[in-house]
Amino acid sequence: MALTTVDHSALKVNQTGIVATVLVAFIGSYFYRPLLILIPLLAVVLLLGTFAPQLALFKQFYFKVLKPRGIVKPRPVQDRPEPHNFAQGLGGVFLAISSVFLLPLTVVGLALALLVAVLAFVNLAFGYCLGCQIYFQLGKRGLIRA
Amino acid sequence: MNAQLWAIAVVGIVVLAAAGLEAYRSARARRRVTGVTSAKAAEPYIIYFTGEGCTVCRTHQEPALAKLGEVRVEKVDAIADRELADRFHVYTLPTTVVMSAEGRALHVNYGYAPANKLDRQLAEARNVLTMERTATA
Repeated sequence: MALTTVDHSALKVNQTGIVATVLVAFIGSYFYRPLLILIPLLAVVLLLGTFAPQLALFKQFYFKVLKPRGIVKPRPVQDRPEPHNFAQGLGGVFLAISSVFLLPLTVVGLALALLVAVLAFVNLAFGYCLGCQIYFQLGKRGLIRA
Repeated sequence: MNAQLWAIAVVGIVVLAAAGLEAYRSARARRRVTGVTSAKAAEPYIIYFTGEGCTVCRTHQEPALAKLGEVRVEKVDAIADRELADRFHVYTLPTTVVMSAEGRALHVNYGYAPANKLDRQLAEARNVLTMERTATA
């Protein structure tokens, strides 16, 4: 339960990256179907980033490029990183499931991917993190060590 | 484009269902907390859960609360006062709770609540107060 410092700007950049990638895949696939490959790639990025933060592409882009150049200002906040990581992992899992459906059932695959983007946008714009809420609820029921 | 349109429709339905569930959760939380806060006041008031890292609180919720005028707002740090936050099932910041003058939670808003929404809820709370006073008179 210990609070540590979490840079919320990194989270925002991550969410922006998710929304942008899914939108490019979603809209772009209408004109050029191979762009759907972005969805499984994003799933891999999110899942890798969940278990190995140094492989989190968007966060690393923030830490290595945006932050040092002053493009995005850091916003360190006393917070727990676990709920955010869990939310990211959940997004990755949903995108992985979406990837499985993309070829046989494109509508289901696209809908799942779009849902992840909508939730990332809601978190980005309104600070409502559904994944974090699920994390707290699971913790409360003793299903995970929250 | 058909697949994209269907996907948008599916997500729309899911979002609407989620909004419905959220409304249900809010109503359930409101029922559960009835009576837990015994602080009585002359007028309905708002409990405002916030936290140090909540940007939306500063950029949206606080200006919205300022627009309400002469309304008592009890600011609560949800991280420091976890017990009170848990009573209202606060997992989202900001959260605003519109309390009746008798200290009953009438509306629980998870996430940003605009001024007009809070105004409407306060008006409802005042109507409840007037009706109760009329009934006891």
